[in-house]
Amino acid sequence: MAAVRGALIKHLRVNATPLPLLLLRNPKTIPNGLFNLTFNAIRRFSDEVMGSFLDKSEVTDRVLSVVKNFQKVDPSKVTPNAHLQKDLGLDSLDTVEVVMALEEEFGFEIPDNEADKISTINHAVEFIASHPQAK
Amino acid sequence: MNIRCFQRNFSAALPPLVPLQLPSPMETHLWYVLPDEVKSWGLLNQYSELLSPCEREGVNRMRGDQLKKRALLARALVRTTIARYQTNSQMNPRSLKFRKNLYGKPEVEWRDEDNFSPLPLQFNLSHTSTMIACGVTVNVPIGIDIEEKQRRTKNNLIAFAQRYFSAYEVKVLTTISDPEVQRQEFIKLWTLKEAYVKALGKGFSAVPFKTFTIRFRETTLRNFHPPGSSVSEASDIIVESFDDPTNPTNNWQFTLLEVAGSHYGAICIKKDRTAGANELMKLTVWKTVPFVEDVCVSGTDAVVDLGRIIEQ
Repeated sequence: MAAVRGALIKHLRVNATPLPLLLLRNPKTIPNGLFNLTFNAIRRFSDEVMGSFLDKSEVTDRVLSVVKNFQKVDPSKVTPNAHLQKDLGLDSLDTVEVVMALEEEFGFEIPDNEADKISTINHAVEFIASHPQAK
Repeated sequence: MNIRCFQRNFSAALPPLVPLQLPSPMETHLWYVLPDEVKSWGLLNQYSELLSPCEREGVNRMRGDQLKKRALLARALVRTTIARYQTNSQMNPRSLKFRKNLYGKPEVEWRDEDNFSPLPLQFNLSHTSTMIACGVTVNVPIGIDIEEKQRRTKNNLIAFAQRYFSAYEVKVLTTISDPEVQRQEFIKLWTLKEAYVKALGKGFSAVPFKTFTIRFRETTLRNFHPPGSSVSEASDIIVESFDDPTNPTNNWQFTLLEVAGSHYGAICIKKDRTAGANELMKLTVWKTVPFVEDVCVSGTDAVVDLGRIIEQ
């Protein structure tokens, strides 16, 4: 069993990152291999996993409120499935303004080729929720 | 408003469209309709009969009467406009088929089994809540964009320009001190840039606005009309592209207009290879209520050329 576990861990091992100094001082407190692996994995991915991806429902609320804020938009039509042109009647200049307002709200730049694909509120939410730079 | 399809014989229901000669190379025809002038439900229902089931569904999908009406008029305008140019026989606007090119730009799909001969037409549509316009050329790509003159942007203009326009364009806008003039020039610049991208037909993301500059350039025209030759100063609108050397930008000609006193309109066409280097785009503009009234408005107040300032 230990051999299998050992082989599995070796197979899964990620690149070594230094352990925190505190743990190194006392070798007896260095966690066993499995904990080592998990700990390093969490440290390596923490920037992206823990706290930097926004929660989707929060993103949805914020996107909805940005779009509802547009004077020419009827707030009652602004739902997560709403299509910017077909349901809300926005034209190309409006859509670019929406993208710009979303950039300001979430604090990161949306590249033109991605902005082009945003035709519904849900698209915007998906895109923003999958971007670690979104604040 | 629910679009109901009445089973009526097309030829009995509507008068024929007034047939028209195709535009020549380097000539553009522009047709526009003002939704506020189309009030008759009967007429709107007749327009809806011209649409394909797919288009009708698209119209019904729009939320709200105004959006539905606008979508309906846009399709009716395209179909009736193209149908006008069939010189051999009466083309039923309902028979036209449309498709999108690789990048989503709409075009006519000519099929062998239809009873009319293919026309070498290219077209482009643009609409605002108070005007729908369709530009038509022969053989050359065309892009048009119209915007209401009074249009306000939600964002600060300069911030918007810095984000989306080229550095040169930002500089030009920033040096305008009067905020109203600055706003107008912003809208004009937007329509020109949109028209260019639509003419290229590859979508907004393929030609990001930041990658090209549109500006006015002084040129000199030698005028040979009697009583003798004179030299006029004119302003050309040109586009300079930063990163597409395969697409020489002196291939494109722009026209900037004020239409019906209420809109700015930009037209961009690709210069025909056979055209001379300095040959100017000829433009004819009609205001239409399809099947009801066509008025040629070229040379009237309804069409003011903003792009060519001829001083003598």
